[in-house]
Amino acid sequence: MTHNQLIYLDHAAATPLDPRVLSAMQPYFSDQFYNPSSPYAPAVAVRRAYEQARHDLATAIGGKPGEIIITAGATESINMAFNGASGHVVTDNIEHHAVLNSAKVRDHTIVSADIRGFVPVLAVKLAIRNDTQLVSIALANNELGTVQPIRDIAQVIKDERQSRLMRGDKTPIYLHCDASQGVGQLDVNVARLGIDMLTINSGKIYGPKQVGLLWTASHVLLTPLIVGGGQERGLRSGTENVAGVIGFAKALQLVTTHRKYEAERLADLRDGLQAILVAAFPEAVVSGHQKHRLAGHLHIAFPGLDGERLVFLLEAKGVLVSTGSACAANKGTRSHVLTAIGLSDEVADGSIRITLGHLSDVANIDLAGQIVIDTVTQEYARLKR
Amino acid sequence: MNSNKKVYVGMSGGVDSSLSAALLIEQGYDVAGVYMKNWTQDLPGVKCPWADDLADAKRVAVNLGIDFKVFDFEKEYKQKVVDYMIDEYKNGRTPNPDIMCNQEVKFRLFLDAALADGADMIATGHYAQVEGNRLLRAVDDNKDQTYFLYRVTGQAMSKTLFPVGGFTKPVVRQMAAERGLSTAAKKDSQGICFVGQIGIREFLSIYVDQKPGPIVDKNSQKVLGYHDGAIFYTLGQRHGLELGGGLPYYVVGKDMAKNEVYVTTDLNDETLWRKKISLASIHWINQAPSIGRYQIRVRHRAPLVWANLSYVDNNVELELDSPERAIAPGQSVVIYDGQECLGGGIIV
Repeated sequence: MTHNQLIYLDHAAATPLDPRVLSAMQPYFSDQFYNPSSPYAPAVAVRRAYEQARHDLATAIGGKPGEIIITAGATESINMAFNGASGHVVTDNIEHHAVLNSAKVRDHTIVSADIRGFVPVLAVKLAIRNDTQLVSIALANNELGTVQPIRDIAQVIKDERQSRLMRGDKTPIYLHCDASQGVGQLDVNVARLGIDMLTINSGKIYGPKQVGLLWTASHVLLTPLIVGGGQERGLRSGTENVAGVIGFAKALQLVTTHRKYEAERLADLRDGLQAILVAAFPEAVVSGHQKHRLAGHLHIAFPGLDGERLVFLLEAKGVLVSTGSACAANKGTRSHVLTAIGLSDEVADGSIRITLGHLSDVANIDLAGQIVIDTVTQEYARLKR
Repeated sequence: MNSNKKVYVGMSGGVDSSLSAALLIEQGYDVAGVYMKNWTQDLPGVKCPWADDLADAKRVAVNLGIDFKVFDFEKEYKQKVVDYMIDEYKNGRTPNPDIMCNQEVKFRLFLDAALADGADMIATGHYAQVEGNRLLRAVDDNKDQTYFLYRVTGQAMSKTLFPVGGFTKPVVRQMAAERGLSTAAKKDSQGICFVGQIGIREFLSIYVDQKPGPIVDKNSQKVLGYHDGAIFYTLGQRHGLELGGGLPYYVVGKDMAKNEVYVTTDLNDETLWRKKISLASIHWINQAPSIGRYQIRVRHRAPLVWANLSYVDNNVELELDSPERAIAPGQSVVIYDGQECLGGGIIV
């Protein structure tokens, strides 16, 4: 089966490189290969292009170029954000493993999301102690698509900071937001969100993989995970990934520009798909917050079926979806997110995650919907045999 | 005619068991695929290595339209196979965990669990053949796996199918490709599954303390260097001595109590070659054979050689027509009568 015949519905796992991103990157693989730290003119030109990319990244999120640290992806950004915290940390139980595992090696409190995957602001507020230094909440959940109330949580952090100031306690407290999911569909202006640190992954926004950024407000003090030649203000040494960063900047610029239109387009397609699937199978369970949800996300369960079987059957018919997050699908175990929000085993095991994106259009979503209906019907029939 | 027979196929995610399932369906059996979850070394923060195999097995089963189940034998596998292997090494012997796995897990636990779950028979992707309750060698001499199967029972064999045992490996791959099985071109697994990528030496060093001791030249009695534990060495072994330069050294003996390893450069050293082998822990698949001449195999894929078999107390004595190299205590010798695998025992 060729790439063109496949209907790709797993945009939350990986996105195809935008052709415009590829063209922007291409010169920096060949002609413009110079080390941006070298002194001669061609290298200086590369340095300028690299710094322009950093500038574009900062502009897209409403930050300053000097506040951006380029990393090798979201996992590194998250590890770095946590590396700055020596005291207590707070996060929620449906975060990505990069966040959960970073929290678990520190003094931590993990708050519970509700059954929609929504993190209650009050729960975060109550979890904050006098020695809490970091709160890390994703912008949106990767499995359910639920969008978190980051602005409200940011207000809680601001209040806590104010009250520490009033009583002369100098313990810092930061809010880190992992925006690996949702950058192409939600506003990620750091000032409007009111956060102190932001993680973005290039590989989820039609840019190259293994590039990401950590934005930190100027008052945030970090320590490096990787030391060496002192690149990225000494916080992330290593020769700059010039082509990657230029591609990342182009990708972020593109998704930011088209965000509003694309979010509406995807929401329409997703709502249509959800409607026909629920009409065909009244027993189907759609998870995730029905109001605050990423436009391209549809997490749907067919109780009694095995979601992983559905993934393989759909794959054989050219439709690529996932069960929960890609990692959980590979482990043959139930997703920690679905367990955490309290879905019954029957619903969790019978669920698939469909995520729409650039490759989705009316024609292939209609076709995919029909294929899902046929496949689910066939599996229900097999069980009755 | 087979449609009323329910067969559970052990599917490992490899091409052999994948094709086995496909062939049984074509033969009209009511087939279900089963992934046996065995024990694996969990290393903190490391993605579990069996996940990909499980997914491969499931993908094939789902595309064949059959039920797929996971049987969890983790606990039993750890006790019966892994702990046994570590104990044997600690006692200075070189065991074969694949043989234990077949004896204890695949053709006992899996068989029992499958029958209890409603199966009439089991099947695996082994290269071997069954006739009634007799185990026969595979058609493909190069792939024949009866060496690993000699400790199964005739009763288990009467309820077992080996669908690929009548084909050679290249034909199996071709048949898998013709049927569009996603595992048709998958690389064969190597080595002991639960040891994974790290190798037996690194694996053992998790469970036993490294205890440095001398490496002694058997003839000159000179200390040539030091090893980090006699348990890591096997008779006949050439690699890993790290003595450097000159002719290669071979292990010709070890003293577990003194933690000494003896080596030589002399490939004709008498301890490397044995004509008489005594076997304990004898196992026969069906009846014990009478005294006489049989073909034997001293390790997997070794050529069959002739030997005279006799009994001394509970042991079997084998007198080989010509000496064989690297007969290591703890390893198995398997005895054949023509195509039939009769059983065997463990070298003392």
